[in-house]
Amino acid sequence: MIALVPGVPALLPAYASLQDPVAELRAACLSAVARLGPRVRVVASGPSGLRVGAALVAAASAEVVGEGETGVLVVGNGSAKRTEKAPGHLDPRAEAFDAGLRASFADIDLALAEELWADAACLGGLPPLAEADVRYDDAPFGVQYWVAVWSR
Amino acid sequence: MQVKLGRHAFGDEPLMMAIVNRTPDSFFDKGATWAEDAAFARVAEVVAQGAEIVDIGGIKAAPGVEISAAEEKDRVVDFVAQVRETYPDLVISVDTWRAEVGAAVCEVGADVLNDAWGGADPELVDVAAQYDAAIICTHTGGVTPRTRPYRIEYDDVVAAAIADTVAYAERALAAGVARESIVIDPAHDFGKNTFHSLEVTRRLGEMVATGWPVLVSLSNKDFVGETLGLEVGERLLGTLAATSVCALAGARIYRVHQVVETRQTVDMVWSIAGRRPPLRAIRGIQ
Repeated sequence: MIALVPGVPALLPAYASLQDPVAELRAACLSAVARLGPRVRVVASGPSGLRVGAALVAAASAEVVGEGETGVLVVGNGSAKRTEKAPGHLDPRAEAFDAGLRASFADIDLALAEELWADAACLGGLPPLAEADVRYDDAPFGVQYWVAVWSR
Repeated sequence: MQVKLGRHAFGDEPLMMAIVNRTPDSFFDKGATWAEDAAFARVAEVVAQGAEIVDIGGIKAAPGVEISAAEEKDRVVDFVAQVRETYPDLVISVDTWRAEVGAAVCEVGADVLNDAWGGADPELVDVAAQYDAAIICTHTGGVTPRTRPYRIEYDDVVAAAIADTVAYAERALAAGVARESIVIDPAHDFGKNTFHSLEVTRRLGEMVATGWPVLVSLSNKDFVGETLGLEVGERLLGTLAATSVCALAGARIYRVHQVVETRQTVDMVWSIAGRRPPLRAIRGIQ
């Protein structure tokens, strides 16, 4: 079992607000991680993603392991340059780049991903979203998020 | 630390106590809510603004025409009953030092006796105990009710405020008032000159450290006016500055004229202090 979630720090308990700005995303992430079983290996491209992955695993009452996993949690997301108010401002190439990822995670242009502030370094091995149970696909703050589960 | 105000229990959150004067001559509103319908409209307004508590007073604090207990009851008892009936979830506090008045308002649903005059009537604690009401124990330096401070000196005003309010709190406890229903108040400007009130503000953390929940009543008072050279209608910013300092120290209840402004100030400070999450933060963490 493999799940994909975005590395959104707002999901961390340390960054909780009185009104959850990512309530829907959080619910989707928790339901996805809950399907990974009790021992989860987290694959992320940086400390922030690892923290978010570990927090979601903990919230699902599961354990982060290095081997012997019952499921794999991949942390990554599309471009953070999707709108004028996005963290990286609007880049007109971002939407097409994310559409490309939506179609396939194979052959990602990592140089372009870096330019577009996409956390895509760990997405390369994933099967296509078309084969997944996609629980979230939106860019509510100018950053493209997917939450998906592959039953394989 | 839980606070229980009559029928109402609260956790650690700061609480707004809105002042409602049933007086023709209080210093800030100058009798604006003297008429019963105006006072009732004031209650409706502060409830809509989110105040958890109203503090209803029938006698202004400053010297003036003597008001008998009978007259004070005429001003507040029926009014308390009417507010109780209309707002069952609202905490009703009555600003009185008289046990006789305290009993009459508790009988019709008051939750808190706010004794602004520091135990001038020793039987007030018995009334609070009898009705399971909360009591606010203030420090006045032993002055007679409705007198102004005149050449009062303390070796250490904060130590005096702590000693007197804690002694009062322990007297209330011994009389049978529930521990979580006892609140202490340094009483800015009561038995204090401006220097005393500034020092009490600066050192409010020492009062909080007693473990008793602390109420502060800063709103538009003379120590703000004298400090900034501003008349009564011009003291909001100074009041809010003092409010910030008290909030950082951990004061729990704020007795105020301006509910919205004070709530905003206290919420902000509470979040700075790490006691309240931001309402909705996403910038930089999306």
